[in-house]
Amino acid sequence: MRSNRIGKQFAASALALAVSFGAQAVTDQDILNDQDTADDVVSYGMGLQGQRYSPIDTLNTSNVKSLQPAWAFSFGSEKMRGQESQPMIKDGVMYVSASYSRVYAIDAMTGEEIWQYDARLPDGIMPCCDVVNRGVALYDDLVVFGTLDAKLVALNKDTGKVVWIKKVADYQAGYAITAAPIVVKGKIITGVSGGEFGIVGKVEAYDAKTGDLVWTRPTVEGHMGYVYKDGKAVENGISGGKAGLTWPGDMWKNGGAATWLGGTYDADTDSLFFGTGNPAPWNSHLRPGDNLFSSSRLAIDPDDGSIKWHFQTTPHDGWDYDGVNELISFDYKENGKTVKAAATADRNGFFYVLDRTSGKFIRGFPFVDKITWATGLDKNGRPVYNTKDGRPGDPSKAEGDKGESVVAQPAFLGGKNWQPMAYSQDTGLFYVPSNEWSMDIWNEPVSYKKGAAFLGAGFTIKPTNDKFIGVLRAMDPKTGKEVWRYNNPAPLWGGVMTTAGNLVFTGTPEGYLKAFDARTGEELYKFNTGSGVVGTPVTWTMNGEQYVSVASGWGGAVPLWGGEVAKVVKNFNQGGMVWTFKLPKDRVVSR
Amino acid sequence: MSEGVTVRITRYLMALVLSFFASFVAAQEGVLDRPPERTYDIVVASGFLKVGMYENFPPYSFEQDGVARGIDADIGRYIAKELRVEFRPHWIVPDETLGDDLRNNVWKGHYLAKRRLADVMMRVPYDKKFAYMQDSTGEYMNEQVVLFGPYQQEQWQIGFNPEKIGDVSTIALFQYHPIGVEIDTLPDFYLSSTLGGRLRNQVHHFPNVAAAFDKLEAGEISAVMGMRAEIDFEMQQRTGSGLKVASNGFPGIGKQVWDVGVAVKHTHRQLGYAIEAIIDQMVRNGEMEALFGRYGLRYTIPAYYDEILGVQEE
Repeated sequence: MRSNRIGKQFAASALALAVSFGAQAVTDQDILNDQDTADDVVSYGMGLQGQRYSPIDTLNTSNVKSLQPAWAFSFGSEKMRGQESQPMIKDGVMYVSASYSRVYAIDAMTGEEIWQYDARLPDGIMPCCDVVNRGVALYDDLVVFGTLDAKLVALNKDTGKVVWIKKVADYQAGYAITAAPIVVKGKIITGVSGGEFGIVGKVEAYDAKTGDLVWTRPTVEGHMGYVYKDGKAVENGISGGKAGLTWPGDMWKNGGAATWLGGTYDADTDSLFFGTGNPAPWNSHLRPGDNLFSSSRLAIDPDDGSIKWHFQTTPHDGWDYDGVNELISFDYKENGKTVKAAATADRNGFFYVLDRTSGKFIRGFPFVDKITWATGLDKNGRPVYNTKDGRPGDPSKAEGDKGESVVAQPAFLGGKNWQPMAYSQDTGLFYVPSNEWSMDIWNEPVSYKKGAAFLGAGFTIKPTNDKFIGVLRAMDPKTGKEVWRYNNPAPLWGGVMTTAGNLVFTGTPEGYLKAFDARTGEELYKFNTGSGVVGTPVTWTMNGEQYVSVASGWGGAVPLWGGEVAKVVKNFNQGGMVWTFKLPKDRVVSR
Repeated sequence: MSEGVTVRITRYLMALVLSFFASFVAAQEGVLDRPPERTYDIVVASGFLKVGMYENFPPYSFEQDGVARGIDADIGRYIAKELRVEFRPHWIVPDETLGDDLRNNVWKGHYLAKRRLADVMMRVPYDKKFAYMQDSTGEYMNEQVVLFGPYQQEQWQIGFNPEKIGDVSTIALFQYHPIGVEIDTLPDFYLSSTLGGRLRNQVHHFPNVAAAFDKLEAGEISAVMGMRAEIDFEMQQRTGSGLKVASNGFPGIGKQVWDVGVAVKHTHRQLGYAIEAIIDQMVRNGEMEALFGRYGLRYTIPAYYDEILGVQEE
């Protein structure tokens, strides 16, 4: 905890006291009802199902033009890379995380800081996946978040003081945490990030109040899951039944499948839904087989971590279609019956609608303009590979100076990357922040690693259109139809929110927070925050007025990669702010 | 005033100016949070040399009882001694490729620790093709660094347990016998893909070569493939275990041998020239071979010298 400047100390602690006086502890019920309550945001996803739909309609298509900035808050210091956080709101206090594992409590009325926590990161740490953080969890009087050195840290929500810290995985072995944890039945549920260092993905549950490990579930076939009783590990079944069913040799031991984007929860079916990343090693020719449970969605029992079902979007992934994307639960009517469904827009360019009670494939369709690696999906949702020129070549067969180049679309950064989509209960549409780009992959003729000759792959990402990369799309999950689209010059990298006021909010790397008509896609509002918006907006009401807030600060994975996409984004300036807007009372009735 | 005195005074003044400059620069740099410019003069004036080496990488570089040990540490120490400065290890956590390691440790700095740079990095393959590689837009990918000073030639090697297999005549043997590799290395990729993948199920993955040797000694696997110096070193550590080095070939590997040298930032060429001269002397006067010998390792002079020494002998 960084101490506040002395002059501010008194004001801050007085404020904290005032806040805690009226503040209630966050309960399981608060979290379960989050999607229905207007005056707080106490879960990542604005409701555990992750719909990012607000029932508030004060702000709507006719008055959104009067949305005004209320305050802006700087995260400070030179640590300005990529602000991908979703703010949380409880009792007039905003809890928001920032790059480099920092957390802030801010007075949501005034924008004044209450406390700040800077995780002390070890020297020589090499996080695989940039230094972003996507948000905190609230429970009881705790603010819980994951750090780049793969720990869970629980802070007192009033003081910012550490209550408990638990190591989730070893950062030296290549693990990190960037996702927001979620809270289900008093347990903090988290995944892990990891690079190509031979890691194994897992989902874990910790007792929210004590930080004690409750269960652990590896996401690669062959690894044992455990539940913990009185501090003792009790075996709870091997993921996938046994080792070696879908992996050759001992490769399952280091299979990847990181759960780096966290998960959602559906109370209706009592299931956690987690996406899993790409398999390791990168060269798919070394690991024939489906390589379960990489690039999949898993339904997990929140009580003991058992896997209820799985659905694999990219079996035998050879394109780094790191399928962690969120699975959002929603119900729809068909032939007079309610279908308990769930939807996900995958890195691989396909949008999937699943039966969330069983994981069975209902339908799937491309949500991007072009897919080259597969020609379609079969009746079970399995991709029909383009076997002619769809898969990058085997480096061991490469001859000459440069291996044959394969063009794959979407690029490995995905038709949709981490940035969460939203589902409107009013329009029945999903609003998908997507990108149109392709990649060339070839076998690098000269490659070294750790002082030794190596076989590496070279790749470059290319925009597929001159005028735009990003596309915000309204997709109908029943028909696969694109109802409307908004093309953005730079790739879209921020989350989406939709509201009962028929609005869709998202940010752009050009710096704008934008609002669109949920039915038509007409752009109704934009405000430039001064740096690229790659965070996820939220909305709530306070003192009878509707507020909207979003983190601003360009970064994330896009600027880490060169190639032709870099030309589009290289002049964007970094930043680190939270911007908060409100619709003043006297502007509610539009004139 | 004699010339000698003038030179001495000039030197003194130079040192004074430089040390002032260095401390000024250091103070400024701290505020700027950008990589420090440690040119030859600044390195000499500062009194130390930061030598970049991979951590936990025996026999090249590793820590033992708080002391940096291994081939690369000893060469670094020798260079520092010749430059009359203190040797300071800069430990490198390897990233996915050499290009990443050069960026993080030699020219740009890692984004979590921009000021943490090595003055010189050891164990950088010396390869003109790599040095002049261009990316898809035609830019030179490694123009920020200078690669020079090849000091050793490295190659692949198998060590095996003769109680399990009589001899390694060809690698086809490993269709039937388990073999250990360090994960995500060329031996891993090679053995998992060669002969149409027929060795794949026998490949056992370990975090490093030493861990593989533990299982080799325990009889759980029959052989280990790694770099020759790694294999030689593990053999040394386990004398009496009866393990042997094989003499098989590695058909299908594009690069059978490669030279290993050092790297500095391209704006620090003067430091590079000084280090190059020291390394060259070590290679020529037998110091390098002796150094390898002290660790019980075979030594091969870099291919770079084949031509040079060949010409000299005429």
